[in-house]
Amino acid sequence: MSADSPERRERGGSVVVCPDCELRKAIETPNEAVAFYRRHAAITGHDVDWERADVDGLGAVTDDDLRTVIRTLEGRFPEGVPIGIVTAAASRRGATIGQTVNAIQGLRMGGELYEPRDDHLRVT
Amino acid sequence: MTRWNDGTEQTATVSPDITDEMNALPAKYFTDPAVHEMEKEKVFSRYWVYAGHATTIEEPGDYFTRTIGDRRIIVTRDKDREVRAFYNVCAHRGSKMVEDTPMTDPGNANGIRCPYHLWTYELDGNLRSTPQSFETAGMNPDLEDDDVPRLDPEENGLLEVHLDSIGPLLFVNFDDDPMALEEQAGTLKDELESFPLGEYEHARRYVSEVECNWKTFSGNYSECDHCQANHQDWIKGISLTESELVVDDHYWVLHYTHDEGVEADDALVEGEARFYYFWPNFTVQMYGNADGYGTYIIDPIDEGRFQLIADYYFESPDLSAEEEEFVQLSRQLQEEDFELVERQYEGMTSGALAQGQLGPNEHTVHRLHRLAQEAYEA
Ligand code: FES
Ligand SMILES: [Fe+2]
Ligand SMILES: [Zn+2]
Repeated sequence: MSADSPERRERGGSVVVCPDCELRKAIETPNEAVAFYRRHAAITGHDVDWERADVDGLGAVTDDDLRTVIRTLEGRFPEGVPIGIVTAAASRRGATIGQTVNAIQGLRMGGELYEPRDDHLRVT
Repeated sequence: MTRWNDGTEQTATVSPDITDEMNALPAKYFTDPAVHEMEKEKVFSRYWVYAGHATTIEEPGDYFTRTIGDRRIIVTRDKDREVRAFYNVCAHRGSKMVEDTPMTDPGNANGIRCPYHLWTYELDGNLRSTPQSFETAGMNPDLEDDDVPRLDPEENGLLEVHLDSIGPLLFVNFDDDPMALEEQAGTLKDELESFPLGEYEHARRYVSEVECNWKTFSGNYSECDHCQANHQDWIKGISLTESELVVDDHYWVLHYTHDEGVEADDALVEGEARFYYFWPNFTVQMYGNADGYGTYIIDPIDEGRFQLIADYYFESPDLSAEEEEFVQLSRQLQEEDFELVERQYEGMTSGALAQGQLGPNEHTVHRLHRLAQEAYEA
């Protein structure tokens, strides 16, 4: 990631939590939240939630449908919307990181989304 | 007088004996990404490393997975009730087979099936079956069905990993020809096996990610020079002056004596807490003031981060109010230590101290640093 990429500029006071472990984790870039979720779920089976997502432009997202969410954000991320930002957008509507990651996996396996780079999404 | 270490000066090896000198392990071994890579082989693939707890897989077919460095394994109980470990890698073309399954939420299967082309293995690792397309050559005009070789179950089985145990504690070793677990554990094996560890049940798992090298936390765990100043709630019931730190080859024990009045009558070790550190990255806490024990796995993520996997074992997973309170105090201790080690690591990465020095009651940390150096040089 280049220093001035939109993804880097989204960093700030973001925090994810595991309610079971009473664990809070400060996150530098949105995709780190997903990396954390994957590491944490692998050894606990726990799901992880956004507590605070300091990501600009999520106000523009007004839909529950993940494809619409990604389509809304695609203009800002021509190389694909970081999966972490999608999970942050979906969390505003109550979805955990695990639920969103699994739903994205389902959409990819259905050919509805693809990854121009790993963990960056576009609508087919 | 010149300073102990000016930050740029050459570092020396860890002192052979803490009574003469007191060189710590140089800072670069805590901060260099290349050292993290090296440790995957020289530390985590040469020594016995804790894999998990046998009581979580009591029935044949129960299994959990564990990742150590880059190596992914399945630990399972076979039809003869023997616990075995295998690489989670298919003998056909190398696919990862089983999804990550923590021992706190184990799976059960009557065999191990690879999702890619559906090769299926017995719980003892032997190849059980392959689909029709591996037995006939219908799509290959150059090969007759009769010329398709039969797959030998053993030759085409899963790659087994050395596994041994101390009571219900399961350890694996990735070396082709490892030293015996008894050799690495020394008297720790008999000592731990004298306690009825298998009679306790897994009750809680807490996992924390901490921003420092795993050995920074290991060092913190191993000494109590910081306790008085930093663990004021915990220290209340402990007589530090009566406590001692005893060092063996690959493990060390911190004995803490509890003041009278806080002893639990049915504690595993009455009136005394014993905190065992077992090289490279496993600990056992025998509480003097609660009827249970805990373990830590100190798993590196990279050179600057690790996961602390804290497991608690009690008579029943339904904790009493006192036990809940006890776990909370233990968690407080962890959080206090995380603050300390993250702060230490921030200092260590600044480059102002290329090598630390150890105090006379940090002989346990000295052992830790010597073991690391030995492993790197081997
Ligand atoms: S790689 Fe496992 S069956 Fe082909
Ligand atoms: Fe401590
Ligand atoms: Zn958790």
